[in-house]
Amino acid sequence: MAVEADMTDVLRIAVVLLSTLLLGMTSFVAGAPRIAVGEPFPDLPFPSLDDGRPLSVAAYRGQKLVLHIFASW
Amino acid sequence: MPGWHKKTEEDRAAGRVKMVGIIQEQHPHRARLFMQWQQMDWPILVDRQNLLEVLAVPITALIDEQGIVRALRPSDEEYSRFLETDYVGSTRPVPVRAEAPDLARLQEHAGRSADNQRNYAASLVLWGGDEALDRAVEAYREAVELEPDHGPTHFRLGAAYRARYDSDYRREGDFEAAISHWGRALELDPNQYIWRRRIQQYGPRLDKPYSFYDWVNQARREIEARGETPSVLRVEPGGAEFAYPSESFEAGGTELRSPDPDGRIFRDERRLIRAEVTVVPGTLAPGETGRVHVVLRPDLSQKAHWNNEMEDLVFWIDTPDGWQVDNRHLTVPIPPEPVSQETRRLEFEIKCPENAGGTVVVPAYSLYYVCEDLNGTCLYRRQDIPVRIEINSSQ
Repeated sequence: MAVEADMTDVLRIAVVLLSTLLLGMTSFVAGAPRIAVGEPFPDLPFPSLDDGRPLSVAAYRGQKLVLHIFASW
Repeated sequence: MPGWHKKTEEDRAAGRVKMVGIIQEQHPHRARLFMQWQQMDWPILVDRQNLLEVLAVPITALIDEQGIVRALRPSDEEYSRFLETDYVGSTRPVPVRAEAPDLARLQEHAGRSADNQRNYAASLVLWGGDEALDRAVEAYREAVELEPDHGPTHFRLGAAYRARYDSDYRREGDFEAAISHWGRALELDPNQYIWRRRIQQYGPRLDKPYSFYDWVNQARREIEARGETPSVLRVEPGGAEFAYPSESFEAGGTELRSPDPDGRIFRDERRLIRAEVTVVPGTLAPGETGRVHVVLRPDLSQKAHWNNEMEDLVFWIDTPDGWQVDNRHLTVPIPPEPVSQETRRLEFEIKCPENAGGTVVVPAYSLYYVCEDLNGTCLYRRQDIPVRIEINSSQ
């Protein structure tokens, strides 16, 4: 029984950690996201213009990327 | 950016580099038309709330295989060096698949925290669709209440209001609220160029350092000439967005006479037509010019329709002494079908005198033909639509 209780605790902690991670990953509020040379580009998911699905710059890791932040106005 | 597109074409084809864009504008589908026009087929991420908090665009960033920014606004030499450098050696990082957050969980965590409310609201705008805009506005309003001097929250609340205004979930006053919160955001951070552009987009022509969507018609023509169908715009650019910069304010229609000077035309007492007025910017300085947006919609709950068998809709402005408008007699042409229920829009510019102050109500009215129902009585009616102008002499 003690083992089962421990496992429940472990699961609970895992769930809390996972949700914290999930909230943390999608946070747009912890100060301005920093775009600076030598630092990782902010890993924020945005809807893709094509189909609205979540897309992040991190989806292109492993490739060299030329990123343009722009507006068509 | 189209320049970069050409410059990198060979490298893209050879797989040496990938192109990605992030757009910072209110109407993302317009960027899709732009991309189609320029034949740029790279993936685009949509950040219409300016969550990245960039101050101005365009920004070009070179990002290595690990996701590290290696150069911002790079020179040709920096670009060549970037291509030649192996930043990771033999270990290739694994791409990270992005996921939308769990909105229910974010709501649960929102509570009385400005950060959490902002996060929840931003996620609703990003992932909740138009039907979530009511909740997004509420969550941003909660964040504003908790932290009234946080500029980005005001800007994002404005973006949410304007998005709702453009959606089927529109509420009266949404556009005006957007302008008000964008104005407040800019007061808090006057150097935020993206925010300034958002107000200029709908504001007077003289405010525009360069035009907004003047490229749209040319793009459509050129796309069609290629034998393609231009990508459809969800919201067509309006008058202010097409405005060319002009060198001076020109008062128009001064010689014209009011079409109903004595107010003898019966009023639209039942408000079969709903009118909404938004002045951009929300507060003018003495001597400044504002752009006035007037929206007229048949009240669908009363089954009202425009009657198109007669004359164009007329809008008249009774300019007070010392005030000037670029056109005091505006019309909206009637569509070919005998009755319709479309939204009719008018825009004009108004210049207040140097000695103006406080709140000034500029009298204006519209004359139109409206039917009570599809087979109901059709009427010729006048609606007085006063334009309230706030003047801040301390600006």
